Amino acid sequence: MNTAPITTWEGAEAYFTFADKPGILMLFTAVGIALCVYTIYSMACHENKAYKKK
Amino acid sequence: MEQQQLLDMTAKLEALEKSLSMATTINAEVFYWWCTALMVAIHAGFLAYEMGASRAKNALASGLKNLLAFAFLVPAFYYVGWWIYLSFPAGLTLSEAGAAGIPWSTSMGPNLTDQASGIFYAAFTLFAATTASIMSGSVIERIRISGFTILAVFLGSVVWVLGASWGWHPEGWLTTQWGLHDVGAAGCVHTIAGLFTLGVLINLGPRVGRYNADGSVNDLPGHNMPMSLIGLMLIVMGFFGFLGGCIIYTGDTWMTIYNTPTTLSAFAFNTLMGIAGGMIGSYLVTRDPFWMMSGALIGVISSAPGLDVYYPGLAFLISFAGGCFIPKLNDIVVKKFKIDDAVGAVAVHGFGGIWGLIAAGLFASGYPNVSGPNVSLIGQVESAIVFALLGFVPGYLLSYVLKMFGLLRVGAAAELAGLDMAEVPVRAYPEANMPAFVNSATSPAE
Repeated sequence: MNTAPITTWEGAEAYFTFADKPGILMLFTAVGIALCVYTIYSMACHENKAYKKK
Repeated sequence: MEQQQLLDMTAKLEALEKSLSMATTINAEVFYWWCTALMVAIHAGFLAYEMGASRAKNALASGLKNLLAFAFLVPAFYYVGWWIYLSFPAGLTLSEAGAAGIPWSTSMGPNLTDQASGIFYAAFTLFAATTASIMSGSVIERIRISGFTILAVFLGSVVWVLGASWGWHPEGWLTTQWGLHDVGAAGCVHTIAGLFTLGVLINLGPRVGRYNADGSVNDLPGHNMPMSLIGLMLIVMGFFGFLGGCIIYTGDTWMTIYNTPTTLSAFAFNTLMGIAGGMIGSYLVTRDPFWMMSGALIGVISSAPGLDVYYPGLAFLISFAGGCFIPKLNDIVVKKFKIDDAVGAVAVHGFGGIWGLIAAGLFASGYPNVSGPNVSLIGQVESAIVFALLGFVPGYLLSYVLKMFGLLRVGAAAELAGLDMAEVPVRAYPEANMPAFVNSATSPAE
């Protein structure tokens, strides 16, 4: 997979992976946020289960 | 011949200028890199401080909370925090400058033409994590980790940074309209986080056993005071990174966040004198090493708004005064209003920040701003009210919603058993509960 937004370092500016594809960057952002939200949800479920044992 | 020499000299001059500009950029990056690293000590400090201030049965749950706040704040600030800071200096209207902070902007990643965004994002992220850590100590031993994480993310990536955009930004409206001067972020970080915490504590309620039926207060001492003291000292060390990160490095001079000139020397004088003043003041009124080290924080916060302009002897006195009366305000919060603030963060950070802002109005009035009116007492007081409300209202409302959904407080049985036992898969001190004969039987032969 070619992720590079540049073909030469001459005159390069933003050179991070997928810098020229904002749609992909938005997707990564959405997935990252979803994972954080899911982890908090999972945290709450773990707590509910743990408190029931007490 | 002469023309050729002139051309050579011009070329050399251009090369020198380019080299100097590059050195300036690199120096700035290096400076903020190490400020950010030093700020991590604040979180190591809060970790030790809060674990030590918890009873042994809750030590790891308290620490887990701090670690999670740090971990979640980093992406949360990347996704929304930096965008909020750049977007709202005028109030609630969106600034075009915010586009650079959107996560899919070309400034929000490796970029050879932007060597500032990443390093400032990093420093601000550590400020954000500090706000969450301020709250975390007060709520130990009974808050749900999930509820705490939601509150920490909201405080660190939305609430405080909106305050920073308003009052700790060259074009923030509190400065351009009211002349706010708060170079060390006492208002946007400490007042907002402290008052947010107050809102949360009202809904969270006190720990089981904290208050008797007649209203008297029981002390619930933490299990390791030396660990707390070392933690507080680490926080003080980290403040040198925090306050260093409050200064703009331009290459040929230092500037405050408001673009007024300053020096690192000014910050060094007043930070140290502030720390000492707070420690001595708190010792005088409490004789308690815990409050003496909290006094160091009170001292830094009390002097923070005017670190660039105070005479060091004045910074000492302002912080000394804070160190004397802030512990008394904590007594009022805990004993009179029955708000169980386990570490005194509402008073230290919330009221300490307000005192710092008012002190700058009393003792630094008349200093000129680059944008906006001169520093004044009325501008400082008005700004303190804005920061206090911006902290308290969201903290109260969000914790109220979490309470409605049962996400704020642990169950009574889990609280009595200890949160480590209830929800942490490892033990803080596993040998501590083992019978003596088991220990001797498993000891290696000498």
